[in-house]
Amino acid sequence: MLQALLSGILVGGVYGLFSMGFSIAFGVMRIVNFAHGELVMIGMFAAFFAYSAAGVDPLVAIPLAFVVVAALSAVLYLLVYRRFVGRATLQQLLAAIAVALILQTSATLIFGPSAHAVRSNWGSQYLLIGPIFLSYAQLAAFAISVACVLTVEAVLRKTSWGKAIRAVADDPEAAQLVGLNSQVINITAFACSGALAGIAGAVLVSYYPVSPHVGFLLMPIALIATVLGGLGSIGGAFVGGIICGVIQQMTSVLWTSALQDVPLYGVLLLLLAFRPYGLFGRVSAH
Amino acid sequence: MTLLAVESLRVAYGDLTAVHDISFSVEPGEIFVLLGANGAGKTSVLRAISGLLKPTRGTLNSEGVSLLGLRPDQVAHLGIAHVPEGRRIFPNLTAEENLDVSFIRQRSKETLAQLRDRVYGIFPRLASRRRQTANTMSGGEQQMLAIGRALMNTPKLLMLDEPSLGLSPLMTELMFEQLARIRDQGASILLVEQNASCIDMATRGLLLANGHTMLSGDHAKLRDSDFVRRAYLGV
Repeated sequence: MLQALLSGILVGGVYGLFSMGFSIAFGVMRIVNFAHGELVMIGMFAAFFAYSAAGVDPLVAIPLAFVVVAALSAVLYLLVYRRFVGRATLQQLLAAIAVALILQTSATLIFGPSAHAVRSNWGSQYLLIGPIFLSYAQLAAFAISVACVLTVEAVLRKTSWGKAIRAVADDPEAAQLVGLNSQVINITAFACSGALAGIAGAVLVSYYPVSPHVGFLLMPIALIATVLGGLGSIGGAFVGGIICGVIQQMTSVLWTSALQDVPLYGVLLLLLAFRPYGLFGRVSAH
Repeated sequence: MTLLAVESLRVAYGDLTAVHDISFSVEPGEIFVLLGANGAGKTSVLRAISGLLKPTRGTLNSEGVSLLGLRPDQVAHLGIAHVPEGRRIFPNLTAEENLDVSFIRQRSKETLAQLRDRVYGIFPRLASRRRQTANTMSGGEQQMLAIGRALMNTPKLLMLDEPSLGLSPLMTELMFEQLARIRDQGASILLVEQNASCIDMATRGLLLANGHTMLSGDHAKLRDSDFVRRAYLGV
């Protein structure tokens, strides 16, 4: 039990990291980015590429994954998502799914359909504390995720860009009236959303194999974590991610790992029925 | 130069015309009121000026610069600040953060902190609420914050959409006094109201009904008009 709880928290840290990215896109632009899992996948491949081509450790390749996915996100925003800002419509969902499929297929063409794993010396070792064993890779991943989340929170609280992002998330129209350029804010927020997915990808690939289809496994987690944390609450999504990790690990220990996502969806349905604004519900502007 | 010139402005939503060919101008130092009942088209006029909606025809100029086709943030950068209907403060930001995000550095001779202190000087209540999340503030305080936010623009023209809505008569009077003080400090004011008590401080104004101009003129003309007396003052 304790083992499952602890590894759930560790795994959940990374979930929280990319869920935060997903939550930024939703909170600021009301874009439900169904391709967010694919952005994590691209981050994983970027770090894997650095490892296989130059022997660079995935954690050292974080800046590469950050830059690649942030740039890709900015391009995707300009080409596709820009048209759907403020409206989480069916068209927007379909467009995002199309982007997801295109990214998936492109990854399959470039890297092939099979899974690739990073084999580092330290990544497969475990820290033993009594009966509990924790993988060094997961510990490192968790530490990096927490550091990133704290950084993002600090940026959102303290910098003028962060405050502007939160103002747009609260009320995009009023934000324009006080002189904030929503186009600049949206594109940087979307790039930031992607950057978090990219970092999460580089961190994740240090202990989890990457395949072109991994995005479809990660995407539901981002969705559930965001709803758990409260739609639009960026910090809440991180907590939601950790809860997702714990639920998953508990299920695989107490039940079976084959069905580890089933209770997760159960939680989503219960939440939507009873607490649609999430556990940390927040005020909407209207 | 004319601060704001509105010429033959028409606003339509599909087949429904909300504003029919309205013309008026606001000169420096003025408090101009747009008076009218609910649905008279007042809000549409303000939204057209600040670029939130596209007029069907007509021209909008500020000191010789056309406002047509500008985005709302570009209009704000020209010094035209719009306090929208329902205040629309940022609910999850603190009072101080609401002011901070509204600071337009290029327009201000003062620093952010100096300008913020000046706003706190006008609305001392905001100073004591500065770390409080805006949605936990009272209606009157939120209205002060909405006006304070517009002042962070250092506006030459301050447009307010029914700021008296939801305020007690006492609070409304207090707020109108503050507006007069803000005008004295150099901003002109375009005030949209249903509340005819604002005529007292107006220099000029215009009465709208169903999107048409019913009456326009100076303070005395509005005050003495039978129409305004019967419709709004109840005498």
